[in-house]
Amino acid sequence: MGEKVLRQIAIYGKGGIGKSTTTQNLTAGLSELGKHVLVVGCDPKADSTRLLLGGLAQKTVLDTLREEGEDVDLERVLKSGYNGIRCVESGGPEPGVGCAGRGIITSIGLLERLGAYTEDLDYVFYDVLGDVVCGGFAMPIREGKAKEIYIVASGEMMSLYAANNISKGIQKYANKGVVRLGGIICNSRNVEREVDLLKAFAAELGTQLIYFVPRDNIVQRAEIHRKTVIEYRPEAQQAAEYRELAHKIETNKNFVIPKPMTQERLEEILMEFGLMDTLEDDYRI
Amino acid sequence: MSKFVDRPRYGCAMAGALGVLRAIPRAIPIIHASAGCGYNIYNGTNAGSGYLGGGYCGAASTPSSNVVERDIVFGGEERLAEQIQSTLEIMDGDLYVIVTGCMVEMIGDDSVAVAKTFADHNKPVLAVSTPSFKGNSYYGYDILMEALVKQYVISKKQKTERKVNILGIVPGQDVFWKGNLKEIKRVLHLIGIEANTLFGEGETLDDIKNSADAALNIVVSDVYASLTAEAYQQEHHIPYIRTALPVGYLQTAKFIRVIGKHFAIDENKINQVLAKEQDVYFDYIERVADIYNDVDFQRYGVVVADANYAPAISEFISDELGWLPQLTVITDFLTEEQKDLLTKRFDGYESGLKPAVRFDTDTSSVRRYLSEIWEKDSNQKYYDSLGPSVILGSVFEKELSDEFQYPLITLAFPVTNRVVFNRTYAGFNGGLTLVEDVFSSLVAGR
Repeated sequence: MGEKVLRQIAIYGKGGIGKSTTTQNLTAGLSELGKHVLVVGCDPKADSTRLLLGGLAQKTVLDTLREEGEDVDLERVLKSGYNGIRCVESGGPEPGVGCAGRGIITSIGLLERLGAYTEDLDYVFYDVLGDVVCGGFAMPIREGKAKEIYIVASGEMMSLYAANNISKGIQKYANKGVVRLGGIICNSRNVEREVDLLKAFAAELGTQLIYFVPRDNIVQRAEIHRKTVIEYRPEAQQAAEYRELAHKIETNKNFVIPKPMTQERLEEILMEFGLMDTLEDDYRI
Repeated sequence: MSKFVDRPRYGCAMAGALGVLRAIPRAIPIIHASAGCGYNIYNGTNAGSGYLGGGYCGAASTPSSNVVERDIVFGGEERLAEQIQSTLEIMDGDLYVIVTGCMVEMIGDDSVAVAKTFADHNKPVLAVSTPSFKGNSYYGYDILMEALVKQYVISKKQKTERKVNILGIVPGQDVFWKGNLKEIKRVLHLIGIEANTLFGEGETLDDIKNSADAALNIVVSDVYASLTAEAYQQEHHIPYIRTALPVGYLQTAKFIRVIGKHFAIDENKINQVLAKEQDVYFDYIERVADIYNDVDFQRYGVVVADANYAPAISEFISDELGWLPQLTVITDFLTEEQKDLLTKRFDGYESGLKPAVRFDTDTSSVRRYLSEIWEKDSNQKYYDSLGPSVILGSVFEKELSDEFQYPLITLAFPVTNRVVFNRTYAGFNGGLTLVEDVFSSLVAGR
C-alpha cells in the first residue's frame, strides 16, 4: 500500500453562497466513504462546523489562545462531529477590533504546532470566509497548506464576480507555488440556464464545473436541526447529490492555474447566457 | 514598485515623534507597538544624533505596550490602557504622549479613543498616530508637533508683537538642533525679537503650551514642519514664513534682514547689529586667513545632507570659504515641487559657481554621482583630479572619504563619530564653528 497522501482543500466563494453548508455536507459524504476528515473553520464568526457538531458550543482556537496562552490543549479546540469528522474553529476578534486575518495565520500555525494534522487524516478542509480581504485569509493556500481549491458559486452575477476575483488571488499563489484550482461547485439558486452559465464560466477560467448541487429546501430544514442533509435525511435525493459531490472530489484529477477574466469578458458571458437581459426585464422585487 | 533605500539617513515616523518628546523636559512618551520598536529607535537616534541618550524617560526605559500576537489578533487597546495606567503611576511627568507603531495602526487600534479614557487624569494624556508607512522621522516630528499644537497649546487671542516660534529644526534628526536653536534665538534677540524655540536650552513644556502668543512662526526650513505651521495658522491664527537654515555670516545677515523687514524693524538698528556681529565674526575668520593663503586651503566641496543643511552648507563653502562646490546630494524623500524649490537655493552664489545638485536617498549613489560629474582618470597625459576635496556629510560618507582620501566633516544625520552637545552650525556662531571644524580637519595631521 502506497503512502497515504493528505489532501488539503480550501473552499472559497462569495459570502452567503453556501460554502459552510456545502463543505459540511461534502465532508459528511467523504466520511461515509471511510475517509478521515478535519474541517478547519476560518471565519471569525466560527459557524463553519455547526452542522457537523450539532451546535456552536465549541471553543475556538483563538478564544483559547486569548484565555490560556499558547499552551493550549488540542482536545479543548478539536471536537469530533458527525461520523468522526474532526472539527476546529479558528475564531477571531469581535467585529471592528484587532486583525481577523492575522487570527487565521495565528490559528493555523498553532494547529500545526499542536499536532492537529495527524497522519491518519485523508482530508483537511479549510472553510474560509467569503471576502478574502487581506493576506491572512489567503493563509490556507500558502505554501505547504491547501494545494486544492474549490470555489462555490451560483448563477447569480455577484457570486461569479467574486469567484473571478478569488481566481485572481489563486493565480497569484499558484504561479509561486503548488496550489491549484480543482473546480467550481455550483450551489444552485435556480437561476435560468445556470448550468450552462457555470460551465461556460468554468471553461473560461480554464477549470471545470465539478458538480452542480441543485437547490432543495431540505438543506434549510436540516440546518434548522443543526445537521447536514446526509445526517438528517440520509435517504433524501439531496443527500445523494452531496455524496456524488464527495465522490467527484475524491476522484478529481483536474487541477489548474486559473485564468481569471477581465470584467468585460465576464460581463460578455453573463450577457451571452441571458442573465443581464433577465435582470433588465424582470422588475419583480 | 517602490524602491528600497540604501542606508537611509532618518528613522521611522515614530522615531521622529520620540525625538521631539526626548527634547521636551517632563514629556513622557508611551510607545504602543511591538517590543523592539522602542529599542531600535533608541539605537538609531542615540548614536546617530551624536549620543543624544534617553534622559529620564527614554531609551530602553521608554514605556511600551510591547504588543504580542494575541494583541494583534484581538486588538491591543486593552494592553495600551494598561500601559498608560502603569506609566501614569510610575513615571513623573507633566504630559503623557502615546505614539504608535505600524502594526497597531494596521489593525486599527484606536489609540486616541484609549487616551481619551484618561481625560480625568490630572496630567494630559494625548495619542498621536505615527505609522511609519506614512512617512519618516521628519514626518513624525511634524505630526507630533501638529498634535501638540491642536491638542495641547492653549489658545491666546492676544499676540505678543515681537515674539516668534521657531519650527523646522527636527530634534534628533538635526544632530545640532539644540545649539542651532540657541543660536537662532540669540540672533533674533539681537534685533529685539523674542524667539520661543519650544525645546531649546531652559525651555519647558510651558513654553510649548503658551506658544500661541507668538505673532509669527518662522519655519527655518524649505520643506519640514508644514503640518505644524498650518496647524498654528488655523488653530491659533499665527502666520508663518519659511526661510532657509542660515549658516555663516552672509546667510544669517540675510535671515536677519528678512525677519527685520517682516517686523518693520528700523534698518539702522539692523545695520548696527550686523556691523557688530561682523566685527566679531571676521576677527576670528581673519585668524585662518594666513594659513589659508600660505598653504592654499581652497578645496573642492562635496556636500551630502538633508534639505535644511545641504543648500546652506553648499552656499557657505562657496561664498564664505571661497571653495569650489562640486556636488551636493540632498538625501530626503521630496516632492517635485519641493525639489524645484530647493534647486533654486543653488542659484546666484556670489562666487558665480554652482554645484551639481542631485536628489537621492541612497548612500551608495553619492559615489556614482562623483564619477558622473568628474572625468575619470584613464591614464591621460594630463589628468586634473577632483582634489583636494572635503566631504561635508554624514558618517555614511566614511567609506567614500576613506576611498578618495577626502577629509570628512560629519554634520548630517547620522553622526556617530562625534559627541554633540550644544555645538551649532547655524547663525554667526555656527559659521565660526563650521570653519573651526573644517580647517581643523585640514591641520589635523600637523
